[in-house]
Amino acid sequence: MQIDFAAKELTVKLVYYGPALSGKTSNLRAIHWLGTSSACGELMTLETQNDRTLFFDMLPITVSSGTGLKVRLKLFTVPGQVMHNATRRLVLQGTDGVAFIADSQRSEADANRESFLNLKRNLQENKIDPDGIPIIIQFNKRDMSSIRTDEELELIAQRSKEPIYKAVATRGYGVMQTLRGLIRDTWAKLEDDHQLEEKFGISPIRFMTEVEAKLKHDPGPRER
Amino acid sequence: MHDQTDAADIMMGDVVRLEDVLSRDSVTSVCKSFFSLFGLPVRVITHEGDLLADVHRDQPLCNYLNTLDAGERECAKTVGVVRDLEPELQTIVHPCFTGAVYRIVPLEYQGRPIGRFIVGPYVPAETTQPPASLLSVDAAIDSAAACGHFETMPRVREHIAKEISDHLKGVLELLLFSGHRAQLASTMQVASVRENYRELAEKNEALESSLDELKQLDQLKSTFLATVSHELRSPLTSIIGYTEMLESGAAGALSDGQAEFLGTIRSKADQLLGLISSLLDLGRLEAKSLDLKHESVDAHALLSDLAATIVPTANRRNVALDVQVGEQTPKLWGDPVRLSQILLNLADNAVKFSDEGGTVTIRAERGDIDAAGASGLGAALFSASRPAVVLTIEDGGMGIAEQNLSKIFDAFYQVDAGTTRVHGGAGLGLSIVKQLVDGHEGKIEVTSTPGEGTTFVVTLPAADDDA
Repeated sequence: MQIDFAAKELTVKLVYYGPALSGKTSNLRAIHWLGTSSACGELMTLETQNDRTLFFDMLPITVSSGTGLKVRLKLFTVPGQVMHNATRRLVLQGTDGVAFIADSQRSEADANRESFLNLKRNLQENKIDPDGIPIIIQFNKRDMSSIRTDEELELIAQRSKEPIYKAVATRGYGVMQTLRGLIRDTWAKLEDDHQLEEKFGISPIRFMTEVEAKLKHDPGPRER
Repeated sequence: MHDQTDAADIMMGDVVRLEDVLSRDSVTSVCKSFFSLFGLPVRVITHEGDLLADVHRDQPLCNYLNTLDAGERECAKTVGVVRDLEPELQTIVHPCFTGAVYRIVPLEYQGRPIGRFIVGPYVPAETTQPPASLLSVDAAIDSAAACGHFETMPRVREHIAKEISDHLKGVLELLLFSGHRAQLASTMQVASVRENYRELAEKNEALESSLDELKQLDQLKSTFLATVSHELRSPLTSIIGYTEMLESGAAGALSDGQAEFLGTIRSKADQLLGLISSLLDLGRLEAKSLDLKHESVDAHALLSDLAATIVPTANRRNVALDVQVGEQTPKLWGDPVRLSQILLNLADNAVKFSDEGGTVTIRAERGDIDAAGASGLGAALFSASRPAVVLTIEDGGMGIAEQNLSKIFDAFYQVDAGTTRVHGGAGLGLSIVKQLVDGHEGKIEVTSTPGEGTTFVVTLPAADDDA
């Protein structure tokens, strides 16, 4: 996080991590599409010719609070392909929270696990404690066949340290809930570490209310 | 304030300065196009106050006012105020005492002010008369001239001015977005290459350190082998010596049983001595401390000696020997003892692995040895092929499977662990042969067909005087 006391401005970095083709860019596209234009800036994608993320995607969201505090949320994705590990590590630098986008398909379970271990290693390499940073997990592609069932996810959620969300990012289902969850957990951690309420006079509840208002265009879950 | 965009800002995906992502040329070019289309002066200023582009034409009214003391002062004051105005979110329309206006439009990127552009001075088309503030600015002003110049000022309706300013803002922000994207891509490219390089350098360092460790262990192994072999050989020499003395009757006559047992002790002790000698040779070869003599060696004599040595073993196994030396075969250049060792080892193996009733062919003939390989790159730069002696040892035995061929020259390697029990040996022979051939700057090749036999071809340099 970057704090500019003079400008009453906070910049918070949130990274969407996960295995190749799990839907990280789709999440950002959906947020860009669903979010209000007053909050969401332009979605920047740095991709190859065949639409695979080369370096990252970035979506800036600006929340100007009634207290005069301006919060700039910078949403990044990492390239999921194994060969881009150095880039993933770079993008992860200075992150404040991570949304891990897992692929719900049973066949991708190994890729999910491998990518999560890679996330832990890269956080450690960046001197970020994986046990201290807010991480949430989104099981994406709920509309595919051969996926882990809702009951299985319920069981996983019961014993998971990280909150679990479900999504169909290509249709916008669940992406805003995931984003709000990520912002809420990240803000709570930043509040603990930096006493933002004391410094800027904004409580976590008020901040989240303002975020919700800014991102209110979420149509909510859609019928499959 | 930053002198330049630093890594932390890049990692946050931020633009620190407008000029980092927008080139002066492209901004100026856009402003020129804007000016030629609408005739309105335009200036682009960074958040830090630097002028990035300035496209305007001097207005006759301004030129005239600058000839008057008070007029010049008022002009300078207005321009100064306009230049320092930095709107936060909304466009500011700042009036000039001449009746013209300046439109100051903020440029914002990702929630941060990054600069502004100023359109003007222009006169809103709605204003038809010059204001009193123009005509009273200086006691010496010529009202008719001032009014005349006022008429020549660029004019545009305010709602049109707003629309074209919004359009210019859109164009500049698009340029900014593209420039930022390009900047991030190139910075990430460089950062990723650096990160990959750092990672590879770390891995290389770890590998080098492992290699050093392995080399040390290998050296320890060689020293250990040499020491143990040497320490084993001394008492073994005594055992063999005393056994020979007992066999010769130096300690009295022996019964048949005693003589048979002593014969077994001697045979096994000889076998052990052979193994220990091989270990010592290997140790010296690996440590490159084995001195090889170099002299002319006659191939006929070498093969005759070899045949004489190997014949008893071949006869015992009922294997025929076919020794051939080509007429043009030159002399070899090497160490006679070690050359014999090479041939004996290969011939002994050939006999050992031949089926009963089979034939082992040992052939020497003239050949070539090529330093750079048959068609090696840069062959012209290497010495041309030189005369050589090609020694071929061919058997009709069990053969070696293709996947094992590359390993047979490794020390202690046995194609089949069972062969040790049947044929003896510790898997050192071929390793020593290979190292001896290398030591003579020769080469050894093997071809084999399982069930049909194996052929070893050793190519060794010929002596110069015989070439």
